[in-house]
Amino acid sequence: MIRPWRSGTAAAACLTAAAVAAAGCTPSIKPVEIASPGVTASGTIEFWHFFTDREADAIQKVVNQFQAQFPQVKVIVKSGQDDSKTTQSIAAGQGPDVALSGSTDSVGKFCSTGAWQDLTPYLTRDKVDMTDIPQVAQDYTAYQGKRCTMPLLADAYGLYYNKKLFAAAGITSPPKTFSELTADAKKLTQKTANGNLKVAGFDPLSGFYENSIAHFATMAGAKWLTPDGKSAVGSDPAWKDLLTWQKNLVDWYGYDRINKFQSTFGDEGSADNAFEKGQVAMNIDGEWRIAAISADNPKDLDWGVAPLPVSDSRPDAYGSGFLSGNVIGISKNSRNPEAAWQFIKFLTTNTDSVVSLANEIKNVPTLLSALKSPNLSLDPNFKVFLDVFANPKSAAAPLSAAGTAYQDTGQDFINDWQAGKVKDLDAGLKKLDENINQALGG
Amino acid sequence: MTALATPARSHRRAPVPPPRPVRKRRSKEGPLLFIARHSVAIALSMMFLAPFLFILLTSFMTNTQSLTSNYWPTSWHPENYIAVFRKTDMPKYLWNTVLYAGLGTIFTIMSSVPAAYALAKLQWRGRQLMFLVVICMMLLPPQITTVPLYSLWATYGLTGSLWPLILPTLFGDAFSIFLLRQFMLTIPNEYLDAARVDGCGEWRTLFKVIWPMARPGIAATAMFQFFYAWNDYYGPFLYTSENQDNWTISLGIASFRTLHAVAWNLVTAATVFAIAPVLIVFFFAQKAFVQGVTLTGVKG
Amino acid sequence: MATTMATRHAATRPGNPRSRRPGATRRRTRQRLTILSFIAPALIGIVIFFVYPLISALYFSFTKFNLLTPPEFVGLRNYQNMFHDTNLIKASENTIWLVLVMVPAQVLFGLGTGILLVTMKRSATIYRTIFYLPALVPPVAGALAFVYVLKPGTGPVNALLANFGIEGPQWFNDPAWAKPSLTLLALWGIGNTMVIFLAALLDVPVSLHEAAALDGANAWQRFRHVTLPMLSPVIVFSTITGIITTLQFFTEAAVAASAASGQATNGGNSVSTLFGYPEGSTFTYPLWLYVKGFGYNQMGYASAMAIVLFVVAFAIILLVLKRSKSFSGEAS
Repeated sequence: MIRPWRSGTAAAACLTAAAVAAAGCTPSIKPVEIASPGVTASGTIEFWHFFTDREADAIQKVVNQFQAQFPQVKVIVKSGQDDSKTTQSIAAGQGPDVALSGSTDSVGKFCSTGAWQDLTPYLTRDKVDMTDIPQVAQDYTAYQGKRCTMPLLADAYGLYYNKKLFAAAGITSPPKTFSELTADAKKLTQKTANGNLKVAGFDPLSGFYENSIAHFATMAGAKWLTPDGKSAVGSDPAWKDLLTWQKNLVDWYGYDRINKFQSTFGDEGSADNAFEKGQVAMNIDGEWRIAAISADNPKDLDWGVAPLPVSDSRPDAYGSGFLSGNVIGISKNSRNPEAAWQFIKFLTTNTDSVVSLANEIKNVPTLLSALKSPNLSLDPNFKVFLDVFANPKSAAAPLSAAGTAYQDTGQDFINDWQAGKVKDLDAGLKKLDENINQALGG
Repeated sequence: MTALATPARSHRRAPVPPPRPVRKRRSKEGPLLFIARHSVAIALSMMFLAPFLFILLTSFMTNTQSLTSNYWPTSWHPENYIAVFRKTDMPKYLWNTVLYAGLGTIFTIMSSVPAAYALAKLQWRGRQLMFLVVICMMLLPPQITTVPLYSLWATYGLTGSLWPLILPTLFGDAFSIFLLRQFMLTIPNEYLDAARVDGCGEWRTLFKVIWPMARPGIAATAMFQFFYAWNDYYGPFLYTSENQDNWTISLGIASFRTLHAVAWNLVTAATVFAIAPVLIVFFFAQKAFVQGVTLTGVKG
Repeated sequence: MATTMATRHAATRPGNPRSRRPGATRRRTRQRLTILSFIAPALIGIVIFFVYPLISALYFSFTKFNLLTPPEFVGLRNYQNMFHDTNLIKASENTIWLVLVMVPAQVLFGLGTGILLVTMKRSATIYRTIFYLPALVPPVAGALAFVYVLKPGTGPVNALLANFGIEGPQWFNDPAWAKPSLTLLALWGIGNTMVIFLAALLDVPVSLHEAAALDGANAWQRFRHVTLPMLSPVIVFSTITGIITTLQFFTEAAVAASAASGQATNGGNSVSTLFGYPEGSTFTYPLWLYVKGFGYNQMGYASAMAIVLFVVAFAIILLVLKRSKSFSGEAS
């Protein structure tokens, strides 16, 4: 026989106990105490980074250089760690001493929760020259005045284009505005006899490779957040421009047709990347694609790269683009923050090591002195990205304590939008405003 | 009802080998019906087997060919399997999986058999309640308790390892307790009485009488538990994803494609690594399985 | 747990526990301790791994909690937010879709294959093994295999369909087809359900069929009026267990989405950002719970979702307890 009341009594009894236990086991944030200047760090530190394969080998070389200079510090490296794994294990009281994140997305979360330590005491003690770090990189590594990360190489985005396909379509220079991009995309598109796509001039679907809504937003100059940290999506008209342009091009292809074509592409990070295979003639991508192309060495690919097109209403913004960067910091659980700091200082403020890492990984160096260094040996095409990085209109995604929650909400919206599921754009954007505000507050 | 042989949770996907021979029913049937029946059966067999075949064939292709629509490798590349080993730490994943499944199974049996015995063969107040709680534990989605348990293990610094998955099996497993209890119910009380008349204590009765008689049920339970752990993805994903040293095979192959951006020829080769061991075990131990589960299949 | 144990043997006659003979009390105490020793580990397990987390989840569900900073009481806000969470709504719809489509499909297919096998003769063994094999495949491997086999464009299935001039769907890459694809995967691994039906079908007495046949019933009538009534408990049982397992559907949806997305995590993406692909069509309730809790560190919100899941699952379990004899305490 079932007697529910009995389990009820038991449950009530345990409720109090559990509440007490739950409240008791919560971690607290300890103030950082640092050593006096001149102390030599030693001991073992664990270093987590997100790279795998070729890039992991590259960063290992720089770690080895550090080991050669500081033999008293031993660095244990773990590769392939993403932000949520890192945050999860730091929250669980474990994790690395030093963590390298592949984007600026989590900086707000790392700093505001205290998961990553404030580095200011170390910077002041060691009199680090912050003026050697470009302003934009300084901005995206600190959240609300709390510097819990340092920039370690940056990413800039541009438009890669297939010169052979351009020549065949009679296009002489890469597009500078949305309307030029649309016009060129149409000219470059090729279909098979039965109407399927053979080459897409430009794949406008968001969610494809690097076509995230955040990358699109910079092209239109669309603002995510108001100065007081609320959603600006409903009030900034740039969003409407962006989404209308994007949807028109999607509809020109036909959502189903471009979606179907897209599903025949290889993985973004593999040698079967659609741009490298000539399936798309123009593609938004980061500067690292240069290194990937030279590693994959695709047959008959003659390519060039230009800044991203911008919306027609702001032609003066041409030359700017989306920026992001790798950020590195010390976990609040680090048992050896002194050695961790030594390592970070070496990686991020030492011109030689930044140059050599930039040469290996082919990312944008984040020291002005490194940018000027004669030892910086980068592909001629790389200049495009250095210029994008230096352009004052270029921007990284705004930092938020909720991490990428606002971008993810926006991404969900554009997915529905491009599929034709949003009938009324104004009402949709208003709803998105609410959703973003909720995601920011949750 | 055949509740005993029922895997009450899908993720407890253990081999429940089918009951043996089909009894003769009607002898006369038209050749047309015979042909129809076999055509359907053959068509179904092909559909059931085709994925295995496609995976196996693709695992021998070059990465370029794996992106084409050819079924048959134009050239054979067994070195794909070596490439999988070079890119991932397969032996370690395999060892971790054996550790999780092996220790987990031993602990589960150790802790669940006595509890099942008390629930099946002894009478005490609270028995019904405990049995109901066990059923709830067995049926409720594990995601309900995930957050508090994660933070519990975090306070002991055990996340990042397989211990949060292994240690709880020391304290009984609801599904195993349920299965063992159902099996023990079928053991006639006369045997117990005989043992008690001989002056055996309950623990001795358990080991001398119940254990040998329940052996098929224990074997089936152990099998369920072993395969559950072997196939588990959610648990290792939750607790060990940040520490590759503690990954299991399921986690290793699930992350293989996204982490290394490899082509399908290598992904399929890795998949073969995960499938092969269970199939081999099944074919070698099929008889034992059948015996265990046919015996367990007694109506409850 | 309140398990005060006034004990008596199942074997010994009830009715005499009140005997006041000297030694009886001592014996009873010993007996209680023995029983306690049997169930102690399981009791500890129930408290630590079930009761405590359940109550704790309830507590967390009223807080904002990210594991990093102490939980902060927010009242009912997490529950209120659930109504505006578009992905949660999507995930719930997906889970309901799976319950309404995948579960019946599994039951019907399991029954169908069972019936086919039961009518086969000598060759049944080999077919039975073949039909059963996919059930052995680890879910992760099965999901990866299906993403590959059903790859649009160049996957074997669509290539095969193209030979017949049929243009195959986009399967895991199309929001409309992703759940049907997961259903196909579930049907491929039908083995366990099939075996349960096969066993039940074999239990239908041949004599009943013969009697019905003598009365002039045709095959359909025999199935409808003889076999089906005998099977109905099994059908109910596998439907209910099917629903319960579908409420926790996680692995296949997670692995298929991340594998089909074609995106890599080696740029530092979290794998949880790939879940739900395409367009959230493969988010299931538990999957979204995981993403909220461990992807976004919103443990409080995830706990609120857990409590709602608990309420739903518990209602279904009550149904099980009511319907199924084998779950009731006094079975045998």
